[in-house]
Amino acid sequence: MKIKEVIKAKDLNEALLSLDKYRDKSKLIAGGTDIVIDLKHKKVLPEVLIDISDVEELSQIKIEESYVEIGAAVTFTKIEKSKKLDNRLKGLKEASRLVGSPQIRNLGTIGGNICNVSPAADTVPPLLALDSIAVVMSVEGKREVPLQELFLDKGKIDLKENELLHSIKFSKLQKNQALGFSKLGLRKALAISRIATSVCIEIDEDNRCKEIRIGSGALGKYGLREKSTEDFIRDKILDENFIEESARFLKSEIEKRLEGRSSKEFKSEAVMGTFKKAIREAIQLIKA
Amino acid sequence: MKKRGKGVGIIFYGTGYGNGFPDISKAEAELQDDGKVAIYVGATEVGQGAKTVMTQIAAEALGLKVEDIIFINEDTMVTPDSGTAAASRQSYNTGNAIKKAAEALKALIVDKAVDKMKLNTNIGLKVENGNVFVKTFPSRKISFKEIAEDYKENPLKVEEEFIAQTTEMDEETGQGAPYWPYTFSACGVEIEVDTETGIVEVIDGVLAQDVGKALNPKLVEGQMEGGFAMGMGYGIFENLNLKKGKMKNNSFTNYIIPTALDMPDIKNVIVEDPESTAPYGAKGIGEPVMIPVAPAILNAIHDAIGVRITETPVTPDKILKALK
Repeated sequence: MKIKEVIKAKDLNEALLSLDKYRDKSKLIAGGTDIVIDLKHKKVLPEVLIDISDVEELSQIKIEESYVEIGAAVTFTKIEKSKKLDNRLKGLKEASRLVGSPQIRNLGTIGGNICNVSPAADTVPPLLALDSIAVVMSVEGKREVPLQELFLDKGKIDLKENELLHSIKFSKLQKNQALGFSKLGLRKALAISRIATSVCIEIDEDNRCKEIRIGSGALGKYGLREKSTEDFIRDKILDENFIEESARFLKSEIEKRLEGRSSKEFKSEAVMGTFKKAIREAIQLIKA
Repeated sequence: MKKRGKGVGIIFYGTGYGNGFPDISKAEAELQDDGKVAIYVGATEVGQGAKTVMTQIAAEALGLKVEDIIFINEDTMVTPDSGTAAASRQSYNTGNAIKKAAEALKALIVDKAVDKMKLNTNIGLKVENGNVFVKTFPSRKISFKEIAEDYKENPLKVEEEFIAQTTEMDEETGQGAPYWPYTFSACGVEIEVDTETGIVEVIDGVLAQDVGKALNPKLVEGQMEGGFAMGMGYGIFENLNLKKGKMKNNSFTNYIIPTALDMPDIKNVIVEDPESTAPYGAKGIGEPVMIPVAPAILNAIHDAIGVRITETPVTPDKILKALK
């Protein structure tokens, strides 16, 4: 099968109508940094490509009264350089900055990163740690769903044939909240995450953890929350000893999850490193 | 925790095919209609700068500008065999053949000049910028172009070859002179090991390379930096991941090589000690530049964490395992 048509959507409406018309015969393209390779390797064989890279509505970062909304076609570069996203969200900016290379970051989008459902997607752990909501649209309307629920399996997203990811929303961070991130890649650029950990915390003056959410990358079929580790940490005082103890708790969780895999020994050990870097960064951001 | 360490690697390397194997380079030099000289060699440019350096050698030998050398290589239909671009041998071997061919053509041109200028002898003649002239009477001269006019149908052309001197080793005793010449190099690095994640970062490096004579120092530095990156990749990144004889890491997605961000700013030290059998003293450095880098890094890792790692690449999983 060959691509018969490429539709350059001028606005959201045209994109949604095209998607509704061609459904499973079509594929969306934004930055193209993944799908172009899949097309070349004939992993996907769409008849129609719907290009959403110039849809204004999908390319904006909006700061509302209580939440932040990032359009699905916003590039990694735009997130990394955005002045609208303050330093407490450093974990998300850092995850964007560490994607691939400048060329990939200039084209690749946050929506693509989510919808490919790669276990190693760099921006997914911070978005999970932010408890993000995915805004999904079709000609029939809009629905909102927790990001985690969109992930069905490696490479599989819970979107209907005529639906697209419109944007991602999360609550604005308060003064005593911040997001940290740490990625373990095998080199400094163009590195696929071996492990990524993002930690969003809220602490009081005594360093007591009021709330914590941990997002993991490359430690499962897709990005995951580490809920039992979060429960272990919540309401405790975050001193160095306890951070070490939490890291060991997370390690035992990962050991259980990766049982039987050759990567178990390394990843369960190294995740302690990425976790400690991410949580320390979040604490520092709050103190700063 | 981040732990720092320093390490040194020192090597010597025999260039050329060696061990008595015939190591032959041929080169042809041909006078063109317009007085320029064409050099024909079967040497391959693989990014190392062979075309530039070999053009320089011919220009130097003929007293011409590099612009007046037409360098023809890689086309096996018109070039003689100059051996492979391997064993760090092209500058030395093919460089020598080019120098010999250029000098032979120059001698031939001088002979023709003696005839044309009706001189008694070739003594006291000088060749410069495409002219042959009497040193004590410079206005008595003739240009390469004027000489070439007589040979339009059948241009003046010479072929020379250079054979490196090596002898086979005695299988019983291991005695012999298997290579000539040898090249020496040394590398020092400072590294940082993240003991939590196992990541090794090379933060500083210095590479000293014996080159005989640097025919083109910038190109030498280019080879040194490239060699450092390759040695570093070999030491800490590159892994074919062979499983039952098949390469699992069969693309640059997972066969990791260093990027510009991984490379430290290295200091290059060019050590010159001209080799008497080499063209203008230059020895081959293509391979030697990468050899001491990985040993230096592994020594530095030992210095940093006190554990001796004996298998490359030293990936984060090996570091964490060693630290346990």
